[in-house]
Amino acid sequence: MSTGYILKYVLQGAPTTLEIAAGAWVLGTVLGLLLALVRQPGGILGFSAASVVTVLRCVPPLVLLYVVFFGLAADGVAIPAVPAAAAALGLVEASFTAEYFRAGFLTVQSGQYDAAHSIGLSRFSAFRLVIVPQAFIFAVPPLLNSFVALLKLATIASAVGAPELLYRGQLVYEQSGQITTVVVVIILIYLLVTIPLTKAISMLEAKLQLAMR
Amino acid sequence: MGTVVGWWQILWTGFIVTIKLSLICSVTTVLLAALIAIARIHPSRVVRGLGEVYADVLRSIPLLALLLFAYYGLGREAASYGITAFWLAVAAITLSESAYLSEVYRAALQAVPAGQREAAASLGLPWWRTVWLVIAPQGIAPSLPTTVNAVVGIVKGSSLASLIAISEATLVATNLVSQTFQPLGVYLTLTLMYLVILIPLSLVGKALEVRFGLARDADKNWLPRRRPLTSLTPEV
Repeated sequence: MSTGYILKYVLQGAPTTLEIAAGAWVLGTVLGLLLALVRQPGGILGFSAASVVTVLRCVPPLVLLYVVFFGLAADGVAIPAVPAAAAALGLVEASFTAEYFRAGFLTVQSGQYDAAHSIGLSRFSAFRLVIVPQAFIFAVPPLLNSFVALLKLATIASAVGAPELLYRGQLVYEQSGQITTVVVVIILIYLLVTIPLTKAISMLEAKLQLAMR
Repeated sequence: MGTVVGWWQILWTGFIVTIKLSLICSVTTVLLAALIAIARIHPSRVVRGLGEVYADVLRSIPLLALLLFAYYGLGREAASYGITAFWLAVAAITLSESAYLSEVYRAALQAVPAGQREAAASLGLPWWRTVWLVIAPQGIAPSLPTTVNAVVGIVKGSSLASLIAISEATLVATNLVSQTFQPLGVYLTLTLMYLVILIPLSLVGKALEVRFGLARDADKNWLPRRRPLTSLTPEV
């Protein structure tokens, strides 16, 4: 089987990989922001948010995927492989995103809260109009980095049969038996996508830190 | 309730393999990461470049891909030398995780003030003795928290070894599911057991972060309570 055929066959998994990563990213960002907002020291709510973050960080993503995909299916909630993977990875992602947002909030100086208060903004408006816009900028580079990480983590979805890059690679390997070609193709795809993205993000990060100084 | 205890006992046999795999991988990962980090502060540009390529390339390849490549690509060859899938998993996890950890170690080594290196050089210490006696010892403490977190990551990553037929906890659970047809119960028990092992470990990591002052205002309220306006007057 020609290398071109193998490349084409594997690349047909790219949209699925993107779907899983993007779904997980959106879910993780929204959920992570909520967790960061709730996570104030003291209080039951803050404690539970912190606990959720700790627990999600200590569960292997593959096991979480099995719970969502096989566990819920047995209880009559059958979720197809791609959304199940996006949900499981999104939950994992949220535990990291929560920290990015928290770190972002902490970089906003307390004078900003005082100023917002002094011009009569309510706590919520101060938060929406003053704090979030400033905090969000600092969360952008880690959020972009986590999208790249999710592109790699999406390979786990192959364990439940989602036709992403690695799963397509396994299929075409079974057809052709050409392990070397399949390995090289998959590694090259990942290298060509992740290395430039990672370098671009660290450049953005450096620029951001310079601008904020 | 009896079934859950029974599951617990069966899953524990898998966890023995998980723990063994993770312990071996933790040691090899730390050693390899330290070696790569030292390569990345080497005076020779070629050695530095090789270290950087290693870190960049291996961080770009998903761990599961590496595991499957090792298993399907080298499995038969390795078996003829008496190397089992277990050791292929050790190799794959080590290669992948050490690339991440080496970045952390490199940063820790680079954070050692340049004056230390210059002082050692002025004493006439050769480069490798400078690293061994002066720079590396100062880099250890700040990289401890991340090392513990990396061990948590290795235990989590070891669950992927189930996909190359290693009977660690996750694969034992999958086999248990095929006997009991109770995926939700079995996988939740499995999750609970991972938590029992990993939550204390990650709390140790967190404690170390606080100890070494890396936690960013862990207990600070980022959203202050509404304060009376008098509090806005500058404190004298």
